[in-house]
Formats: sequence, structure tokens, C-alpha cells
Amino acid sequence: MTDPRFEDLPVPVVHKHKRGRPSAVWIVPILAVLAAGTLALRSYLRAGPTIEITFESAEGLEVGKSDVRFKNVPIGKISSIELTDDQRQILVRVQLERGAASLAVQDTRFWVERPRIGVGGVTGFGTLLSGAYIGVDRGTSKDKVERFVGLEKPPGVTHDQVGRRFRLDSVDAGSLGVQSPVYLRRQQVGSVSALELSGDGKRIDIEIFINSPYDRDVTDTTVFWNTSGLDVSLDATGLHVDTQSLATVIAGGIAFGLRDGDPPGSPAIENAHFTLFDDRAHAMARPDPSRLPLLMRFHQPLRGMAPGAQIDFEGVRIGQVDAVSLGYDAATHGFYSDVDATVYPERLGAAYAGLVAEGQRRGKTGPQMLQSLVSRGLRAQLRSGNLLTGQFFIALGWFPDERGKDAVAARDGVWVVPTERGGLDQVQDQVESIVAKVDKIPFDAIGSEARDAMHAASSLLGHLDHDVVPTAKQLVGQADAAMAALRDGLTALRDNVAAPDSAIQQTTRATLEQLENAARALRGLADYLQHHPESILRGRSSGSEPKGSP
Amino acid sequence: MTRGIDVGLATCHTCDLVVNMGAPARPPAGACPRCRSPLRFRKPNARTHVIALLIAATALYFPANAFTIMYTEQFPLRRADTILSGVVFLWQQDEWELAVLVFAASILVPLLKLGALAFLVIASGRGSTWRPHARTKLYRVLEVIGHWSMLDVFVVALLTAVVQLGQFARVAPGPAVLPFAGVVVLTMLASASYDARAIWDRGVLD
Repeated sequence: MTDPRFEDLPVPVVHKHKRGRPSAVWIVPILAVLAAGTLALRSYLRAGPTIEITFESAEGLEVGKSDVRFKNVPIGKISSIELTDDQRQILVRVQLERGAASLAVQDTRFWVERPRIGVGGVTGFGTLLSGAYIGVDRGTSKDKVERFVGLEKPPGVTHDQVGRRFRLDSVDAGSLGVQSPVYLRRQQVGSVSALELSGDGKRIDIEIFINSPYDRDVTDTTVFWNTSGLDVSLDATGLHVDTQSLATVIAGGIAFGLRDGDPPGSPAIENAHFTLFDDRAHAMARPDPSRLPLLMRFHQPLRGMAPGAQIDFEGVRIGQVDAVSLGYDAATHGFYSDVDATVYPERLGAAYAGLVAEGQRRGKTGPQMLQSLVSRGLRAQLRSGNLLTGQFFIALGWFPDERGKDAVAARDGVWVVPTERGGLDQVQDQVESIVAKVDKIPFDAIGSEARDAMHAASSLLGHLDHDVVPTAKQLVGQADAAMAALRDGLTALRDNVAAPDSAIQQTTRATLEQLENAARALRGLADYLQHHPESILRGRSSGSEPKGSP
Repeated sequence: MTRGIDVGLATCHTCDLVVNMGAPARPPAGACPRCRSPLRFRKPNARTHVIALLIAATALYFPANAFTIMYTEQFPLRRADTILSGVVFLWQQDEWELAVLVFAASILVPLLKLGALAFLVIASGRGSTWRPHARTKLYRVLEVIGHWSMLDVFVVALLTAVVQLGQFARVAPGPAVLPFAGVVVLTMLASASYDARAIWDRGVLD
């Protein structure tokens, strides 16, 4: 209005205006809500069930990052990791994908896949780089559950492996563990899938899985034995080393097979129970139907005798020693050794059958038969089976001297067999007495005296060395000098005496001439005196000259 | 201050020609004599448009933040990040400047835009007279920063195109990218639909 040119402004082109229709802009929020809703719905539909798994440790697991994989295909994500209410374990919540919903059944197993190094090789190597994930073994049950207890190790056998499980009962697992191999004729045909202590903690319950088709070889007559480690045994028959493969030395293992001569039998049912023998020898030994406990009392040391030592009768191994114990006899103030043993009469074979037949014919019971054997001289004797290793065995043998003596006495159902000191034992006694005599020789005293004498000699020599030798040396020196002087003297003497023109020689010659003259004069005198003895008193008569004067 | 609408003057929204409508505050009728565009005193149904677009943007805001926006595969790591987890990841990597930037551009700005536009449209709808200058300024700021919230979409688009190294590294857009782009576009449209003159109308309807 204030603008003066206001009136000059153009006027609009007027046309009809439609209205009443809701604005088309509302399509936009409708579309947006639809889109957001579709997205939400789709993600809701894609999401499968949420399950909870408890583990001992969450090591390596991360929320949102670690996934759950079935055959290495991701099928879910960890949505949370927290402690359980009792703070003892961790609770992992996993959001499974819809397609994996069928995995959440009762016997499905979960474990954390981490890098593991075992004797069988390295597993989970990829997780070194990618981080841990939760592995799944799909169960076969139809019962849907939402809570699981996770395994700490990957299961030895997954549900999709074809084969059968069997249960073994053992006292000692040795170095066996989950995934230890199971061998048939030294070929691996299965593995240990679970291993746990029985309820009372006294036995080990081992579950093994034998792959198809070898599970057919497990029959009701099959025997299982432990091949863990290196089986080195040393007994009266020598040294035995037995092992299945190098891996079993470290990882342990189980082998199975048939006893020699056993029929193959019919295939065992799934989860059939077997006994796991400690070693092949135990497994192969046939169970003996009748057992006869024996007690043998030895009045001699039993060094080298250990449980398991064999009982031998006429060269046949009929039993083994169960225990050796030391006893004290108050009456004789002596010690003795009790050997508890078990013999299996069936091992005598036809001989046993004959004895039984004889017993029946004569109406004697087993103990009575044994008694009659003893009265015929049956005795137990300790014998050395292996001189090198010092292993002993007990031989039941005949001693005619003992015939008629002693009798078998039963004590608490145990049959006492009298014993005889062994031949070797007697030899040993003699050797011992020789040794005792040798022992009595006072080697010590002799030795010490010899030592003293040696000492004295040695000190004397030392004395000579120190005191006499220098003096002697000095003496020798002086003698040397004296000899030299003597030689000089003699030389001078020779020079003086021997030379023809020497003064001595000349003097001597003159002297000798004078002596000759003197002698001649004496002879003349003597002759004169002979002829004129009176001249001694009257003197010399004139004219008579002594003759013979030189 | 006298408004054009009070004296029957309208501006063509297309060619900005000022037209004498003849009578003030009359229901709009006619077309621009120059460009034949429909003539209005105010943007027609501006409030309805803004509200509708805001509802649409809000609806998309949730999936945009709840779903994965980007998958990154950098052997052997595989990540699936939502916007917020990406921010957290950057923060944990000590890239806190980047974390703040992404947080501001991708989470805070869209949220502020939604809130501010809702405030403006409600305030002008109720004919509020509260601080019209401040509200105008707020509107201007919204217009300017609105463009920057497309940052995330651009980042994902760019990385997807560039980082395709086969087995070693790969980036793929997640389901949240489209809703997020929708939020940004819809809030921009909403702020464009808003008629800032309504701030000064004091309850006078268009």
C-alpha cells in the first residue's frame, strides 16, 4: 500500500482451483514406514532362535565378531557373553540364523575352536588369524532346547561320522585321551571319543568310536587292550618291548583283535561293554575257569620275586604270583616270606583232565588230590629264571626225599604248599660261606701293614736321598782329587826315577856300585875270617890279605 | 512490519515475480502472468509436507542406525559395522578426530535436523512469537549443514568402488545405506519444503 507503483503490478491469471484431495506428500512417509517395516520384518524373519551355551572360558570369543560355524559355514553370531549367575562359568548367547534353527536340538554339541597342537597334528590353525569361533556338531535328536553346555575340546567324533560306539571299562587309562587312536592290526580304525571316571572314581569309562566298516570287526569275542606308551616288560622269559606305532608311544592308543583261535563271533551291538586289558598279553590270555589260590612259605630271602612271576609245573606255566609278604615267626624268632599265588589247573590240559578223572574214580576231591601229590613229594622251589636280570619263578617239582612228609593244609580256602630250598639256593649258601671266609681275611690289617712298610721304605729312601747322597758326592769329588794328585806324583816319580839320565838313577847306580864293593869287601872279610878266625882277637896278620874283595 | 500477504502481494515461487493478488490473505488462486506457475502467498501445504517428510525420515532413521551400513573384509578379519559400531571402532583405534567427525555428521546432524525442523514446524504452526530471529538463524544453519550428512553414504559408495582387492580386502554396502540416504534426502527435502516466512506469520495460515 505504501508502494506507489503497487497498482501497476500485474494481476494473476485466475483459474479454478481443485481441492479436498489429501496431499500426495503423505505417500512419502507411508513408503518410508513400509520400507523400514519391511527391513525390520525381514531381519526378524531371518533371525533364528537365540540359544545359550555355557563354557569354562571365553578366551578368544568376542561379541559381534566371533561367529558360530557348522562345517565352517557361519550360522550365527555371538550376541552377548556374560558370567553365569553363580560366577563359575561364562554364558554365551548366540543368535542363530533362521536356516540353522534345526541345529538347536538336544544332542547338538558346541565347543570353542582354538588352535590346538596335539600328537595327531595341528587343528584350528585358521583360528590363529581369524580368532576363535564356536564349532557345532549337529545332533540327531528332535527335542528343541535353548540351553547347552559347551565342550572344552572339540568332540572326538561328530554325529555325521558313520560307525559305532562301544564302551570300554578300565582301571587305568594310561596316556589315553580323547582322540587317542584305536587300532585294528596296527591300522587306525577309530578313536577314543570320551573318557571319564566312573561314579565311584575307581574305574575309567572309555567311549570309543569305530569307523564304518571296521565296526563290523568288533564282535562279542573281541578283546581290547591298551597300547599306550612303550610296553617294556622284563620277566623270567626276558625283555619284551611292544608298541603299536610311534604315535601311541606319546598319545596312547587302544588296539583290538581276536584271541588266537577264537571264532570271529557275531558283531557287537552299539554301546556294548568290553574290558580294556592293560596289555596285549593280558588280553590274549584266556580267562581261566577255575582258580586255585596257593600259599607258599619260604624261609629264605625272595629278592627278585615280584607279583606276576610265574608258577611253573613241569615246564608249564600254570599260574602267577599275586603277592609277596614278609612274616615274623615268634616261636623261632625268624622271618619268613609268604608268597600268595594263583594257579589255573586247566592249563595243565590233558594232565588235569587225567587227574580229575583219577580223583573221580578214587572218590577224592580236588584238595585231597593235591594232598596226595604233596605226600608224593610235590614241593615249591624258588628258581632263577634269568641269571642276567635276577628274575625268579616258582617251580612246583618233585622231591622224592620229602615223600610222605608234610601235608597240605587249607587256610581260609587257600592251599598251603610246602617249600623246598632251591638248588641254586644251596649253591648260593656255599658261595655265601666262601664269601664269608674270604670276608674274614683281614684285608684291612694286611693292607695297613703293607702300607706302613711302604711308608718306612719310602722315608728311608727319602733320608738317603737327602743326607747320604750329598756326602757321597763330596767323597767322590775328594777321591777324584786325591787320585789326580797321586797320578801327578807317580808321573813325577817316573820322570825322576825311570829316566836314564836322572839324578836318582845315577845316584842309585853309584850307590849300588858302592854296595857291590862293600859286599865284595864283606865277602873278602868273611873268607879271611874263615881262614883266620883269630884275627878277630889278634887282628890282621900281615901278608894275608882278605880275598875276594872287589 | 507489513507483510506482502497483508496487502495482497505474492511472489512467484518459480521466477520471483511479485504479483498483486488483489486482496490480502485470500486463498491463493491464479498463475504467474510471466511463467504460468501457480501463484501462492506461501508455499502450499508447507506444514503438511514438512511433517510428512519428517515422519518418513524418522521412520528410516531407525533402520539406518540399527542395520549394518558397511561390510569390510580385510583378510582374515571380517567386520560388519553399523554407524555407531564404526564410530566406536574408530574411537578404539585412537582415531578420535575421525570418530567425532563421523559421529557428528552421521548421527548427530540428522538427529538435530529432525528435531530442529520438528520444532520449527510446530512453533510456526502454533503461531509462536518466540524469538523469530533465532529461529530464522536455526533454519539457515540447517540448510547449510544438511548437505554434509551425506558423508557416510559417500564414504561407503567410495570405499565400495575403490576397495575391491579380491580375497584380501573388500568393502560392501550394508542394508542400512539406503535408509540412511533416505533420511538425509528426506530431511533436506523437508527443510526445503519449510517456508521460513511462516516464522513471521504469527499464526496466520498460508
